[in-house]
Amino acid sequence: MTYNFAFLDEDTKRMLRRSLLKAVAIPGYQVPFGSREMPLPYGWGTGGIQVTAALLGPDDVLKVIDQGADDTTNAVNIRRFFARVAGVATTERTVDATLIQTRHRIPETSLREDQILVFQVPEPEPLRTLEPREAETRTLHALADYGLMHVKLYEDIAQYGHIATSYDYPVRVDGRFLTSPSPIPKFDNPKLHQSPALMLFGAGREKRLYAIPPYTEVESLAFDDHPFEIQQWEHQCELCGSGESYLDEVIVDDRGTRMFVCSDTDFCGQRRAEAQA
Amino acid sequence: MYVAVKGGEQAIARSLEHLAEARRGDTAVPELTLKQIREQLRLGVARVMQEGSLYDEELASLAIRQAAGDMLEAIFLLRAYRTTLPRFGYTLPLDTSAMRVRRRVSGTFKDIPGGQVLGPTYDYTQRLLDFGATPPAAAVLADAPLASPMPRVLDLLDAEALIERIEPGSDPEPVDLTREPLMFPADRATRLQNLARGDEGFLLGMAYSTQRGYAESHPFAGEIRMGEVDVVVCPEELGFAIEIGSITLTECQMINQFHGGNGLPPQFTRGYGLCMGEGERKAMSMALVDRALRCDELAEPNYAPAQNQEFVLSHSDSVEASGFVQHLKLPHYVDFQAELSLLRTLAAQHAADSDEPLLSAVGGQQS
Amino acid sequence: MLAAFAHPVFDSQRSFRELLQAMARPAMPRALPVLPPAPAPIAPAAMAILLTLCDATTTVWLQQPEGEAVRHLQFHTGLKRVDKPQDADFALITDPVSMPPLDAFARGDLRYPDRSASLIMQVSAFRADGQTRFAGPGIRTSETLAIDGLPGDFWQQRTAQAPQLPLGIDVYFVAGQQVVGLPRTTRLLEG
Repeated sequence: MTYNFAFLDEDTKRMLRRSLLKAVAIPGYQVPFGSREMPLPYGWGTGGIQVTAALLGPDDVLKVIDQGADDTTNAVNIRRFFARVAGVATTERTVDATLIQTRHRIPETSLREDQILVFQVPEPEPLRTLEPREAETRTLHALADYGLMHVKLYEDIAQYGHIATSYDYPVRVDGRFLTSPSPIPKFDNPKLHQSPALMLFGAGREKRLYAIPPYTEVESLAFDDHPFEIQQWEHQCELCGSGESYLDEVIVDDRGTRMFVCSDTDFCGQRRAEAQA
Repeated sequence: MYVAVKGGEQAIARSLEHLAEARRGDTAVPELTLKQIREQLRLGVARVMQEGSLYDEELASLAIRQAAGDMLEAIFLLRAYRTTLPRFGYTLPLDTSAMRVRRRVSGTFKDIPGGQVLGPTYDYTQRLLDFGATPPAAAVLADAPLASPMPRVLDLLDAEALIERIEPGSDPEPVDLTREPLMFPADRATRLQNLARGDEGFLLGMAYSTQRGYAESHPFAGEIRMGEVDVVVCPEELGFAIEIGSITLTECQMINQFHGGNGLPPQFTRGYGLCMGEGERKAMSMALVDRALRCDELAEPNYAPAQNQEFVLSHSDSVEASGFVQHLKLPHYVDFQAELSLLRTLAAQHAADSDEPLLSAVGGQQS
Repeated sequence: MLAAFAHPVFDSQRSFRELLQAMARPAMPRALPVLPPAPAPIAPAAMAILLTLCDATTTVWLQQPEGEAVRHLQFHTGLKRVDKPQDADFALITDPVSMPPLDAFARGDLRYPDRSASLIMQVSAFRADGQTRFAGPGIRTSETLAIDGLPGDFWQQRTAQAPQLPLGIDVYFVAGQQVVGLPRTTRLLEG
């Protein structure tokens, strides 16, 4: 048997497209959608895959990253899936891509207006760890009652002197909805604010879609006396020398020697290619 | 040079080769045919159909073979295939009272019209491993043809008005959970739909907990029946009903004690379980959990896990649970790095505050 | 019976991408890539949107439900027509000047603000030389755009709904081949 272009049937794509348009119209709000069972496991990017399948056309150039890298196994597998069911061109170059599906990172290279970033989201509800009941969190969003989150962050400060959230750091979108940026390191949060590119988020298992439109106010929660800060390293990338990128720490021998390298493999590779040229 | 994450493409290709080899095993041993699986592993096939939400014995057998007998993987395979199938229409509600019964037991009456019929059950085997070759089965001759249709035990109580009455056609049109997201609070039809495709092990544990004091509902197995039911459609363009085949179903109706509340008189209440194929353990578990989930409607104290519909319904699905538990083996090193850096900051702060020397194992900042 | 999209899978996909960008970048006209045949009073651009987004699971209210147009839509999309604007997922406004008030359409509820109407409004023209300026999510600083052919009090009605955000109505304006998105969050700037 043969599958439809991009695997999903047209009814499903229309349902996804209607939901995505509402998501864009209500920035940061989680739209419930009829998530389908995909041929990849829940928790492995089924939300992002469904969003990508609803967007994808024959003219697109798709890039898929996981942890910032194109060659991690799950990124390879998702890219392979779309090459197989849609026959689209794929790339590892951020600048060449029209669509980028990502897990846990936003590329270091600035995105453009003609690009769309699709995030894989495990838990779309930023309040879930504080309030497990969906009926309750939905009410809190309806009332824009985010006291729970402020109390949590404040308690962090009281106990540790710092906000003890280093990834999936909650944001307020367009001054209204408290939103999960997905488990990106807070290092990437500033890239959400006034982004030229549209950002779409898909949570397949939890059956929610949401969006951050381009040029939208995205504020990482903070307090006046504890402003939002991103991670910093005392190191530079040992491969390309970058001092501005997010670094992975790699243990290189059994004495525990560390090496720091860019998590964004395309960014790092391009810098090294330029240095050699 | 550190290249651990490179070569993902080749690594996947090699892994698929290893998998194919391991799945097939010793090639001197003939490969299982789908017919063998369907005929000789029928309860496994039934479970895959139930939780895969697709009644197709051939495809379920294929899924079991492809999954090397891993039932959850087989269920996942069938679900992913089911997603792509177009909807031609909907059947009329199945009528289990018209079931051609092969097994039917009741724990509530010694004898019942139509009789207790054990049928093919493991209940009274003695669980001794049969070391010899399985002897060829002799055809079983029925003592007498079973009554058809066989009256339902609960309908007999209904005549005496001792059990809650559920009027036919009083249910709202059910939502299709494979097309619509689960919303809370979920009505009973939606809950039953979720439980019907829920993981048998999860439901079994939940059901068991209700028998051990976590939402005790004093259940009696009113009736369990298994057999074949006709599937009937009524296409709009034809305007009359036609039978398109029959499927095997297992149905369980639990009878539960109820002392009255929420404006309802003291009466027996019902817990309902239904599944495709032979699946008695599943249908019974489902019925107990269904009854526990009715606590709000019946104004019973809601305190136990099995009564908490968000807890039960959000965690019952094996495909969702298996995917998310196992996603932890995907790389998380970006977030782990973020946590490392945070922990080092906190540990340094803690050391500075308490004037204690930093344990190098914890805070070993490398340079 | 007229035809619909010549290449349903790819024409819908390309149309959707423009609609998505239209909604993400409000008040900026974009060209729809495919204009399918459309019986009066439906404009081809409006038909492209309906074919892209509507099917048997969507409810649609037609301002002018004329026989040929209704048959065409039902044949090609299977959409469910509703008689009351309040019940519509999508509403097709073919004569904006005589349209019902905006309050007649669903704005969603606070727990589910997405359960709100999307309006497809056939207007006469878009002009970049107007005095009307817009701001909000999707707009970098501000966008200037005049939309011709709207009821006189359209902007007052819309402004009156703004305090109810995140409840609201999202609009796709079409004129000729162009589409302009106006989500509920877009603000009309004074002066």
